Amino acid sequence: MSANVELENLNIRFGDFHAVKDVNLNIRDGEFFSFLGPSGCGKTTILRAVSGFNDPTEGAIYIGGENMLGSGPNERPTALVFQSLALFPLMSVADNISFGLKVRGVGKVQRRKKADELLEMIALSDQGDKLPSELSGGQRQRVAIARALAVEPKVLLLDEPLSALDLKLREHMRTELRRIQQRVGITFIYITHDQGEALTMSDRIAVMSHGVMQQVGSAQDIYDNPATSFVASFVGENNPINGTVIAAEEGYVSLKTDFGELRGRNERGLQPGDRATLFIRPQNLCLSERGDFDNCIQTTVNDQEFEGEFEHLYLAGDSRNLVVSLINDGAIPQFSNGSPISVGFHSDRAVVLPAGEMAYE
Amino acid sequence: MSSVQTTLPPQTGQHGFRLRSTHVRQFMMGFYILIFFAYLFGPLVMMSATAFNDNTYPQVAPWNGFTLKWFEELITDSFMVEGFINSLVIGAGVVCLAVPFGLAGALMLSQIHHKVRSIYYVIVVSPILTPGVIIGISTLVFWDWMGLMLDADFESPFYNGIWLTIIGQATFISSYTLLIFLARLQRFDSTLEEAALDLGASHVQVFWQVLVPFLKPALISAAVLAFLTSFENYNTTVFTIQAESTLTTVLASKVRLGITPAVSALAVLIISLTLVGAAVHEVLRRRERTEVKVG
Repeated sequence: MSANVELENLNIRFGDFHAVKDVNLNIRDGEFFSFLGPSGCGKTTILRAVSGFNDPTEGAIYIGGENMLGSGPNERPTALVFQSLALFPLMSVADNISFGLKVRGVGKVQRRKKADELLEMIALSDQGDKLPSELSGGQRQRVAIARALAVEPKVLLLDEPLSALDLKLREHMRTELRRIQQRVGITFIYITHDQGEALTMSDRIAVMSHGVMQQVGSAQDIYDNPATSFVASFVGENNPINGTVIAAEEGYVSLKTDFGELRGRNERGLQPGDRATLFIRPQNLCLSERGDFDNCIQTTVNDQEFEGEFEHLYLAGDSRNLVVSLINDGAIPQFSNGSPISVGFHSDRAVVLPAGEMAYE
Repeated sequence: MSSVQTTLPPQTGQHGFRLRSTHVRQFMMGFYILIFFAYLFGPLVMMSATAFNDNTYPQVAPWNGFTLKWFEELITDSFMVEGFINSLVIGAGVVCLAVPFGLAGALMLSQIHHKVRSIYYVIVVSPILTPGVIIGISTLVFWDWMGLMLDADFESPFYNGIWLTIIGQATFISSYTLLIFLARLQRFDSTLEEAALDLGASHVQVFWQVLVPFLKPALISAAVLAFLTSFENYNTTVFTIQAESTLTTVLASKVRLGITPAVSALAVLIISLTLVGAAVHEVLRRRERTEVKVG
């Protein structure tokens, strides 16, 4: 039923604009795969190329081993859930769901049976005769997914389908989507700029920036071992500290920074003299007096923010504030703005990557 | 402490009328509306009255008594009846041509490359700006030439007044329908088309099952507009109709040769039909709206 999707040396240009650059990827059978990146990074372009709405300038797309070149969107074993949902406003919910069967010439009785089945799956059994405009946002969302599933695609493509929902509903729909995917067992390709969605739902994630695929890996992989400065700064909160490599040994490098010498993991084979950035996550920075740390940063407090479980400290960094998130154990001292502070971290918690593009400018 | 003072209206018992600026404004407005409607409906009322006056010439005064004989004369007037039937046939023919032409033109306009869009727009809308007389003459000359070139028979459609009138009127009425479709298409969400394609529909299925239902109100308005414009057209028709006649050309010749109140009787019939049609439509529309609310 499901199929793998292979992107081979995929390049897509719109005039002078190079939207997708040299993407090589194999999305496995029955995998929940996400493309994560800021808007304009080329992720929607890839999705539209897979569904057949735009052609690759170079390269090829294989679905289940079959080259899709020359097949229109209505001939591919894919179904797309649009960002705007694109439910047919003049058709009832059941007619929307069974539209794909109707155009294939399936009889009325069978269509209704299939629509009822899917309505039951999305828990909207008694709503089939309503118009889409009479449903709530979350219900419309589920109808759009059911409509795409009705044609029994081998690959379901989802283009930021949750972006129009409010936060609570979005979180609920994440679990719902994951449940549906496990139930139908087909390949899901999910497009999002929301890292929370990508991290919670996906088997694997591809992080994109400016048409280039920066890293492919599991959620843990991408969060714990980012491959580029862009991934490190885009996925989750991270504190960058710029410097120059002065020593490299046994998987670690030492950097000369504005805060003195700092050490972190060397995942990318940096050599002395290279420009590099050290990334340390807010929860891995601690007050120096509370432990014995290999690295210490002496700086001043810019701001302190209380958030219930956590308390965030904003410290003067080399280019932007360093964020420290402390678990609220009831014993966090109050700092006045401008007072000196010393924070520390363990070298194995920090990752050092070649200096490069950041997700925030 | 500063006290806050509010200005209250003087509490007096007097109720004397005071002329205010709003009174003048309301009076002017009422007067204007009265004149507006008198100007709009006055002629119609007068004309309707002449249809029932027993007088050989359509006039209200002197009132020679109530009669229905002009209606009788109207339906026994074979020229009038023939012209009326021809007008219906031509109107139906124009609807059959102008609605698909206008729709095709509007679809083309919404998909054409943006660099040529403005030029294309000027071309397809230009028949509206061309005088009807010119369209009539050129239709006649063009098809006469075509007939000559193809050595067509004189009984062929090339020389048939009804056919030529349908074609001639459709050239500019298509532009009207195009504008109606264009307005509706601007509100069409093209991702619906993509969604239908993605679900496996062919382009033909997308057209009939997604686009046409969306355009249905525009299709109806375009058909009604095309029919009415055709029905009342004179400028183009007078050239293309040749040996045949339509209601407008019959009326025009009657005006030249001496008019009778039978023409007023026709006007009464048309006005009543319009009023009844509008009333039925409104009643149905309200009933449907309450049904939606209840359901």
